[in-house]
Amino acid sequence: MKLNVMVVDDSAVMRAMVKKSLSLCGIELGEVVEAANGVEALEKLASSWVDLALIDVNMPKMNGEELLNHIREDEATVPLNVIVISTEGSETRISRLKSKGARFLRKPFSPENLGNQIREMLGETHGDGSGNQALPVSGPDF
Amino acid sequence: MVSATKLLVVGMADAKHSREPGQTLVTYALGSCIALVIYDPVAKVGGMLHAMLPQSSIDPAKAEVHPAVFVDTGVPLLFLESYKLGAKKERLVVKVAGGACTHGDPEKDMFQIGKRNVLMLKKLLWTNNVPLAASDVAGTESRTVFLDLETGRIRIRTPRGEHEL
Ligand SMILES: [Mg+2]
Repeated sequence: MKLNVMVVDDSAVMRAMVKKSLSLCGIELGEVVEAANGVEALEKLASSWVDLALIDVNMPKMNGEELLNHIREDEATVPLNVIVISTEGSETRISRLKSKGARFLRKPFSPENLGNQIREMLGETHGDGSGNQALPVSGPDF
Repeated sequence: MVSATKLLVVGMADAKHSREPGQTLVTYALGSCIALVIYDPVAKVGGMLHAMLPQSSIDPAKAEVHPAVFVDTGVPLLFLESYKLGAKKERLVVKVAGGACTHGDPEKDMFQIGKRNVLMLKKLLWTNNVPLAASDVAGTESRTVFLDLETGRIRIRTPRGEHEL
């Protein structure tokens, strides 16, 4: 199934780069939604269907970590797949982001790096349900 | 003028299938519920599910008796039954409508049932490798959905008018 992706970054250049990488990383892309900060991202999450969010950390209005908190507090967005893309060097912050169910990808990155992260993440979500993005599903396969 | 078609009504928490070209499947007044519509244009087999809640884990006993109440048990049922009538998974055109925010004010819609119904549906389709061809979800309007078994065309009626999905 095609993946709807949201790219959240305050830099338009960076958003364009992430989009370019997405198109090259071997994932079947659906709609790509852009947001320049956390506030915009939450607005767009409420009105569009996003399967995966790629989120920058340092942004005005609402940064990536605050955005992740909001995503995990709202029952409607709890299962959203999140990859934080940042130059962030603080291991404490990175492990804090991971504890909230986000993956971490360091800038600069290659389309292959991105593709691998996404595939791993989806495998997790669709695997044994141990990831905290998983929605419990009870019915049979079809 | 089109010839009169027979309406086959899909009730709340119900799923129905047909392969009679003269029939139209219909489900009325979807609020936060979702209607998942599947159609195989070759076999001319169609099915419609009107599911109310995302997860059967809240009431497994109920899901046993009425699987169509829940998205996670109703969707598999919809597909598996259609195969028995000759539909093929790879030919099925899959569309969804509904999942509205029925309280009008999204801020007050604490449980976000509509949104969660659609989220669960997307996850199910995704894990089962089924592409979603079209969707008309969210918003605040009530929707009535028709599937014409002859053509596979889906019409959605809202208080503001009618459109094709
Ligand atoms: Mg930034």
